[in-house]
Amino acid sequence: MGNKQTIFTDEQFEAYQDCTFFTRKEILQLHGRFHELAPHLVPLDYTNQPDVRLPLALIVSMPELKENPFRHRIVEVFSEDGQGNMSFNDFVDMFSALCETAPRELKTIYAFKIYDFNVDNFLCKEDLEKTLNRLTKGELTPEEVNLVCSKAMEEADLDGDSKLSFSDFENMISKAPDFLSTFHLRI
Amino acid sequence: MEFSELQRQSSTIAHGYHGAQQLMRLQSKSVVSNQNGPQFNWGSPPSEGGEEGDVGPPKDLRERPMTMRLKRAIREVQQMRVPVVTSWQSWKRSKAKSLSRFRADAGGVMSYVALWRKALHKIGGHFGGGVQSYFMFLRFLVVLNFLSFLLIAGFILIPSIVFRSTSTSNMTVDSTGPEVCKVYDPNLQGLVVFYQYFLDLLSGTGFMEYSYMFYGYYNNTVAESSGFHYNLPLAYLLTSVFYFTFCLICIVARMGSALRVAVATGSGAAGSYSKMVFTGWDYGCQGDRATKLKQKSIHYQLQVDLEEERLQKKALSLTLGQTVGLCSLHIFLMLVSLALIGGAFFGIFKATVFSQAQVGAEGILGLFWVYLPSIVITTGNFVVPFMCDQIALFERYSPSTTIIMALFRSVFLRMISLGVLLFTLWSQITCFKDSPKCELCQYNNKEYPCWETRVGQEMYKLALFDFLITIAMLFLVEFPRRLVVDHYSCALTRWVGRQEFLVPPNVLGLVYGQTVVWTGALFCPLLPLINTLKFFILFYCKKVTLFSNCRPAVKTFRSTTSTIFFLVVLLFGWGLALVAMIYSLAQIHPSMSCGPFRSLTMMWSIVPNTFDTLSLTTQDFIFYMGSQAFSIPLFIFSCVVLCYVAALAAVYGKSVDLLKAQLKLEGRDKQFLVKQIEELSREMGVPTRDQLDTFDTGAAN
Repeated sequence: MGNKQTIFTDEQFEAYQDCTFFTRKEILQLHGRFHELAPHLVPLDYTNQPDVRLPLALIVSMPELKENPFRHRIVEVFSEDGQGNMSFNDFVDMFSALCETAPRELKTIYAFKIYDFNVDNFLCKEDLEKTLNRLTKGELTPEEVNLVCSKAMEEADLDGDSKLSFSDFENMISKAPDFLSTFHLRI
Repeated sequence: MEFSELQRQSSTIAHGYHGAQQLMRLQSKSVVSNQNGPQFNWGSPPSEGGEEGDVGPPKDLRERPMTMRLKRAIREVQQMRVPVVTSWQSWKRSKAKSLSRFRADAGGVMSYVALWRKALHKIGGHFGGGVQSYFMFLRFLVVLNFLSFLLIAGFILIPSIVFRSTSTSNMTVDSTGPEVCKVYDPNLQGLVVFYQYFLDLLSGTGFMEYSYMFYGYYNNTVAESSGFHYNLPLAYLLTSVFYFTFCLICIVARMGSALRVAVATGSGAAGSYSKMVFTGWDYGCQGDRATKLKQKSIHYQLQVDLEEERLQKKALSLTLGQTVGLCSLHIFLMLVSLALIGGAFFGIFKATVFSQAQVGAEGILGLFWVYLPSIVITTGNFVVPFMCDQIALFERYSPSTTIIMALFRSVFLRMISLGVLLFTLWSQITCFKDSPKCELCQYNNKEYPCWETRVGQEMYKLALFDFLITIAMLFLVEFPRRLVVDHYSCALTRWVGRQEFLVPPNVLGLVYGQTVVWTGALFCPLLPLINTLKFFILFYCKKVTLFSNCRPAVKTFRSTTSTIFFLVVLLFGWGLALVAMIYSLAQIHPSMSCGPFRSLTMMWSIVPNTFDTLSLTTQDFIFYMGSQAFSIPLFIFSCVVLCYVAALAAVYGKSVDLLKAQLKLEGRDKQFLVKQIEELSREMGVPTRDQLDTFDTGAAN
């Protein structure tokens, strides 16, 4: 582990602190974790901003994400190319958006993106069914899945087009008191 | 042309959902593909955009849903742009930035100091929010008790120690009354049997009785030396009153934040399925075991919700005869459970009377008699809820109602059993039935030469017994159970299974312990300190048992509503202790042989007595505060404020409903217009939106 000066320049620290909810120490900690995932790929010295991307399979092997049923979607959403290859920028961005101090609006936007499996900017019935199956690991019978999804759609769909737009989703999330505490990755 | 009109209309509707368009040129191509449908424009900033230089410090950048590369690029653009601001504003902005940096760093340091932060973090990750809220409640109680102890130590304990050691310049007022009432010999023997110390420690007698521990040791000294005037009895009384107020303020403040969240997000009943699906998963869950449990609990919760719907549908379709039968069954079983609880109360009453009559018995048997009320209460607290649970199986309420009923029964049982104990003690001391004993000194001075110490001892025994039983349960029940279940697998062990960490009974135990402390604090000033130590040790014991012996409960407790529930139950306990304190202060004659109030007919009368010694202007001022000329305008003013706040709340509620209705209408309008466009474009042979879509995606690939 190098000391602060050799990993990031001060200017880079300022940029990260302005663009995320992390302090210097936490950014260094994150760099340590990123490096741990692929020590031979990730350089210790980030002062000249190397463009190193780690594949999806490596990122989802982290203990914080390993057991999360939505881990693939999370990594895909936060990666720039949409395929799950994350640079350090994306990595920090992911943990910043999911940290304790991130505001509700930001988390709602990303939650919507994560649950939108077919990336059409709407949550349709198939998206809901996929979400539910991952939540319960396929333990519910198909009729129960269908029932729960139609009830959920009924409750949240305000404009009656049988799919959830972002405003429907946002409205529903605003009434869920636990959202901020559950949608939160601890690192 | 009509078609272009409609197209313009549709595009204005679509654009109406977009924010400002200034930073569109910085978008990456993957973000916005479909311009026609209503959607959130990921690219545009939620506020007015980065053009204005003096608004939006870089902090806004963190809250935008863009990739890091974009954010850094925007930041560079913002920094390169020469700000058209005065040097004063730029100085202000840089100071604000360094202040927020400093606050973030300070917050990081403070979180190290916060008690048990890492432990709570780990518990939350493995067992979920409900169990974590129990431990946070426990931490709150530890801190509350410690602060109360500091309060009591500062105003009662330390002055007492100081006055005892410098006993020259004090004056103690001797009480007036029959000589026999002033006899109090707290049994200071010379040579005792070796185990007597241990027995005394457990029951608060012997060497512990006449010590700073209990009320009887404090004198009614009024210290006066060179301008320094300290009235110990007054300090004792006012500290006790302030202690109660302080605890109330802490509890209400803590409840306020939780209530605000609960009220803002409305009732949890509506929209539970969608919430379950989208917010059910705890992203902080770590570990294979915790994840499987979480999935099982979500599965269970959904099944419970579906089951409740089925039951509700069935309940609506019942015939009259079946409804009557169900109601009578409910009433009958309610009476049975009330009879059980009443039987427990009667048992406690009898045990207390018997135990108080056995004062003076020696050895282990003596200890047993002395602890009899605590034993009966604890046994009742185990047996009665278990039997009520068995009864609940026949009651056929819906699952959530069953849980709530069980909780209310347990709370009722625990609080009222403590109340029965207190009532019994009080009736013995002031002899409701047997007048001749109390004629002489207005209290039963034969059996209770110093009754406050006896009450303090009783509360001390309750607290200690509660603690010992919890530790004993840990070592004698939970650890062996885990060993047996893990190493022998037969049908019985599989049915019994590992211990489940049930949050509600544990919380009720904490509330019971705290209520005992509140009731006893007036008579045993060191009780908050003992309770701090007890809860401190309890935290570690419970943590150990949680991680080694327990499996997480499948039926989880919601963390936000549970905090409010715990604090409400704590307030019940506080209210009970308050009633006990007011009764002691205002009704019972203090002992004439011991304690700081020995010369008074009522504990509260120290206040009017001191009041008379204040200067006339102070007296007039305080009289004025209590008079009608002041209190009636104050009352009217508070009513006005209350009405204003209530009206404001009603108006906000109405506007929320209006906005919801408007949202629905706009959605329908939009759908209607889009359908119109599609029809028209079909009629005119213009490619429709879907055809354009396929063209777009074809071009992009």
